[in-house]
Amino acid sequence: MITQMMPERREGPVDPMPKAPSPPEEGGGPRRPDTGSPDKDSLMKRMKKVDPKQAERYRQRTGQ
Amino acid sequence: MMRLFGIETEYGITREDLDAVDPVVESMELVRAHLTASFERRWDYGGEDPHDDARGFRVSGLQQDKEEDDFAKIDAHRPFSYHEMKSDLVLPNGARFYNDHTHPEYSTPECRTLRDLLAHDRAGERVVQRAAERRNRTLGGSHVQLYKNNTDLHGHSYGCHDNYLVSRSIPFPQLVAGLLPFLVSRQVIAGAGKVGVEAQESGFVPGQYQLSQRADFMETDLSVDTMHNRPILNTRDEPHADRAKYRRLHLIIGDANMCEYATALKVGTTQIVLDLIDRGGVPPLELADPVSAVKQISRDPDLKATVRQKQGPALSGLEVQEQYYLAARRMLAGADAETDWVLGEWGETLRLLAQDRSQLVGKLDWVTKLWLLETFVREERIGWDDPWLASLDLEYHNVNADRGLYLGLEAEGKAWRMTTEADIEQALSAGPHDTRGGLRGLCVRRFPDQIKSMQWERIQFSGGLKGKTLEMGNLFDPTEVKACAEIFERAASPVEAVAAWSIRKEPQS
Repeated sequence: MITQMMPERREGPVDPMPKAPSPPEEGGGPRRPDTGSPDKDSLMKRMKKVDPKQAERYRQRTGQ
Repeated sequence: MMRLFGIETEYGITREDLDAVDPVVESMELVRAHLTASFERRWDYGGEDPHDDARGFRVSGLQQDKEEDDFAKIDAHRPFSYHEMKSDLVLPNGARFYNDHTHPEYSTPECRTLRDLLAHDRAGERVVQRAAERRNRTLGGSHVQLYKNNTDLHGHSYGCHDNYLVSRSIPFPQLVAGLLPFLVSRQVIAGAGKVGVEAQESGFVPGQYQLSQRADFMETDLSVDTMHNRPILNTRDEPHADRAKYRRLHLIIGDANMCEYATALKVGTTQIVLDLIDRGGVPPLELADPVSAVKQISRDPDLKATVRQKQGPALSGLEVQEQYYLAARRMLAGADAETDWVLGEWGETLRLLAQDRSQLVGKLDWVTKLWLLETFVREERIGWDDPWLASLDLEYHNVNADRGLYLGLEAEGKAWRMTTEADIEQALSAGPHDTRGGLRGLCVRRFPDQIKSMQWERIQFSGGLKGKTLEMGNLFDPTEVKACAEIFERAASPVEAVAAWSIRKEPQS
């Protein structure tokens, strides 16, 4: 189950290269995953909508 | 060591309303859909020659040349020119966006910091997706989909290349010896994860989860080729800088990462290993069979597989990484803030991979994708050979925010971020202020009608009688870059700016 596997909330890492402060609502440094309330239904719904045959049809030419 | 890096990403592209997709047309149309919001500049191909080999010789041909010639014959009958097909754009942020080998490719401007690199890598996702949305409006439906991945899961791979400016004073054999074990094992951090096993042109075998998208396609230790006989370390000697002073390390082994954390560690740890090589501090490791080792490590998500050294005990990928990490910590701790951040996160990531990888969901792609797939397998009660999993693998990399699995995870706040939306928007509008990439973007914004041609190390301007070319093959000192940018900001014309910059440079030359 997603809820059982999500990592625990921890303090964020140090910003490697501090810069001018960003708007307060967005914060200025790295943000760790918000693992407090995983919306399993939303993600599973998105996954279930994927066509099982999608990869079968997907073809590309070799690139670099 | 001077730090400068950038990432080139070839995106997968498809049309969901067609049974047979022409990738040449679709890639061209996608790039050209961007034109409504940018400027078209003819790219100067004079600086590109993939036949020079860093081992000190020049090859007469690449293995891909015949295939390229065959495609060129077909393309010659198309109702558009070579330049139209390539649709080479330089964007206002100094990035390059074009159709490369039938894939839309976004090359970030050159960056000096990981924060800038992440913002520009994410900006690339937005550029291609916004171009797809414009194209889809023309087509009348959400038909074009783009994937930031490296395989079609049918044996065809395409690349995400990380590039680094390196001093030519480091002998190439020293670079090779220092990098090979690191690159073989880097996938434990930077792998994007893949369902199944494949090889070039030989199809797809489902059922096994791998760390890396590219491992199956590595065929040799060293090679100048990039499309066939792919090497762990590409030897192309195309510096895009003063050849007497610099190399460009062009790494093609890497996966395209969705996780910002994985991108930061991929590039950050590689830069640190280059610093270690420069100081003669790499651990004394030499793998017996690097190509086999890449595949062995990739095909064991439990990270227990060991690979043989020429001398000494067999080591797991984690153990190889740990040796590099410990050497780097001993020699480079305290060097600067970014190095210290990378060292701290590198060590913590290796610890968590060994002890509790669930804490790396949202930070490392292979861990995140595996977590999603394991959850889905349990919920749907399907086997690991179910083709649905390959489709989920593909959709993890979709850059359409309404569909992509990773972007869905990120929208729910479960992915580690260093960038903000403001950072990404800023990266869409301008390049880094301290690199020639930012200067390139500035010229596109200020003098869109006076640029004759552009490439990585040179801009040619039209108009005036002399001083029409801005040479940037030695323009890497951030102070110099900023001084040059100030001149181009103030000048009435680019010819005036080039003349003023030449006068400023004269006393130094």
